Amino acid sequence: MMNTFLQLNTIFLSLLIESLPFVVLGVFVSGVIQMFVSEETVKRWVPKNRLLAIVSATLLGVFFPSCECSIVPITRRLVAKGVPLYAAVPFMLTAPVINPVVLFSTYIAFGSSWTMVLCRALFACAVAVAVGAVVAIWHKGGELRDERRELSPMPRTWKEKLIGTLRHTIDEFFATGKYLIIGAFIASAMQTYVKTSALVSIGNGKAAASLVMMALAFVLSLCSEADAFIASSFQSTFPFHALAAFLVFGPMLDVKNTLMLFQSFRARFVWKLIAYITLFVFAGSLLI
Amino acid sequence: MIRMYLLLGFAFLFFHLYITGELSQYINMRYSYISFSAMIMFAFLTVVQFVLASRNEEARDHGEECCGHHHHEPSARWKRAVHYLIFVFPLVSAFLFPVATLDSDIVRAKGIHIPGMAADSGDPFAQRQFLRPDSSMYYGRDDYQNAMDKELKKYRRLARLELNEQNYLNVMETIYQFPGAFAARDIEFTGFVYREETARANEAFLLRFGIIHCVADSGVYGLLVQFPKAVPLQNDEWVHVKGTLSTMYYQPFHLTLPYVKVTSWKRVEKPKEPYVYRQFNE
Repeated sequence: MMNTFLQLNTIFLSLLIESLPFVVLGVFVSGVIQMFVSEETVKRWVPKNRLLAIVSATLLGVFFPSCECSIVPITRRLVAKGVPLYAAVPFMLTAPVINPVVLFSTYIAFGSSWTMVLCRALFACAVAVAVGAVVAIWHKGGELRDERRELSPMPRTWKEKLIGTLRHTIDEFFATGKYLIIGAFIASAMQTYVKTSALVSIGNGKAAASLVMMALAFVLSLCSEADAFIASSFQSTFPFHALAAFLVFGPMLDVKNTLMLFQSFRARFVWKLIAYITLFVFAGSLLI
Repeated sequence: MIRMYLLLGFAFLFFHLYITGELSQYINMRYSYISFSAMIMFAFLTVVQFVLASRNEEARDHGEECCGHHHHEPSARWKRAVHYLIFVFPLVSAFLFPVATLDSDIVRAKGIHIPGMAADSGDPFAQRQFLRPDSSMYYGRDDYQNAMDKELKKYRRLARLELNEQNYLNVMETIYQFPGAFAARDIEFTGFVYREETARANEAFLLRFGIIHCVADSGVYGLLVQFPKAVPLQNDEWVHVKGTLSTMYYQPFHLTLPYVKVTSWKRVEKPKEPYVYRQFNE
C-alpha cells in the first residue's frame, strides 16, 4: 500500500519538477507579451485576404507564448478591436501550442527529439487553418458576448508595465499551477493504479487510443508548457498518434478554457467550435 | 504572505534537489540548467511577492482589471485553504517521502521467473535483486553516498560506457543511482535476453547474473533495451548491444527506468563466466 503510494508520489513529483520551470517561464513571457504588445500591433499583422489572414494568424501564434486560458481574453480583445473571427480563432488555437516555450518543453520531454515537436506544431497549424476556414465560411461575426463591455486601459509607463508583468506572473502561476498539480496527480494515479493491461488494451485500437488521450487532455486541463511531460510518461502505453492528439487537443480545449470560452463568446458558437476542433483533431490524429 | 512562503518553498525544493544531487533522479542532467533557472526564478518571485504584498493591499482590487481579465483568489475561506493546500502538498511530499526505487519485491510482485535465479534460498537475509544492483546494505549511509559519488565521478568522464565483467555491476549501480547524469551517453554491454509478456516486440531486458557480496545475494542485473524494430530474440539468448542511454516511465513497474536505445546488436556466445562480481576495492 505504502509502496504504491511512493510510486505514485515519485512520478507525481518528477512530472512537477520537469514541468514547473517551463510553467514559470511561459507565464512570465506571456505576461511580458501582454504588457508590452498591444492588440493594435497584432491587428496590423493580419492581412485583408481571408485565406492569408487565416494562415498568418495561425503562424502568429509562434510569437505569443500563453497558457490556453489567458489566450481567451486576448482573443476576445482582438475581436472587439476588429480582427475578424476567422483570423482570431486560429490564432487562439495555435498560440498556446506553437510558441517557443511549449515547443522547447516538448523537445525536452521527448528526449531531445524533434519528431514530436514538428508533429505537434504542424498538426496544430493544420487544425487551426481548418477551423479558421470553417469559421470563415459559416460565421460572419458578432459572436462575442457582451460586446459593449468597456475594456480597461493598458498601463502606460515602463514601471507600471514591469510591475504589471510581475504581478501577472505570480497570479497566473498560482492560477494555473493549481491545475498542473491536480492534473499531474491524476495522471500519476492513472499510471500507478490502472492496470497496465487495461491501459494497453485501450491503447491498442487506433481510434480508441486517440479518443482516450483527447478525453484525458480535456479533463486534465494542463498548462501547455507542462503537458508534454505528462504525455511522455504515457509513451510506453499509448501510441505516438494518440500522444500527438493529446498534445494538440489539450491546449485548444479543456475544462478550464471551455468555461472561459462560454464566458466570452455566444454559447452556440462555442459548441460549434468545440465540434470543429474535436473533429479535426480526431481525424488528423488518425492520419498520423 | 502565504504566496511568498509557497514560492520560497518551490525555490528551496529545486535548491535542495540540486545540492543533494537528487535532481538526477528526476531529470536529464544535461538540462539541469533549466531546473537551476527555475530555482532562480522562484527565488526572484519570492522577493517580488514580498515587496508587492507588503506595499499595498488595495492594489489587488485594482489588479483585477489590470490586464482585462481576472485572477481570482477564491473568496471563501475554506476555498482559499484548499487552493493553497494544493501547493503545499507537493512541497511536503517531496521532502517527506523517499523516491520509489526498484527493489526485490518487484520479483515477487510481478512473478518474474528467470531460470537459474533461485527464488528462495532459505536464507532470511538473502535479497534477490532485479535489474538494479543495490550494494547500499554493505555501507553506512554516508559511506554509501560517498562511494556512489566517487563512482559517478569515475564514470561520468567517459564518453562511452563499455561494460565488461569487472565493471558491470559498478557501472550498472551508478547508472541507476544517477540516471540523469548518463542520459544520451553511449553504452555497450552483453547480457541475456529476458522478456515479459507485457513487453513490446522491440523491447526486452538484457541481464546478467551478478553477485554483490556472496552467493546468498545473487540477482539478475541489467537494463531495459529498446531495439529499432521488433527482434526475433528468445529468452536466454546472449546478445551484445550498442546504443544510447535514456530514461522512460515503464508502466508495468510504475517506475521511471533507464533504458538503452539500441543502435546495433549481435548475437554472441554465452560467456565462459556468465556471472559478474562486484568490485569493492578502488
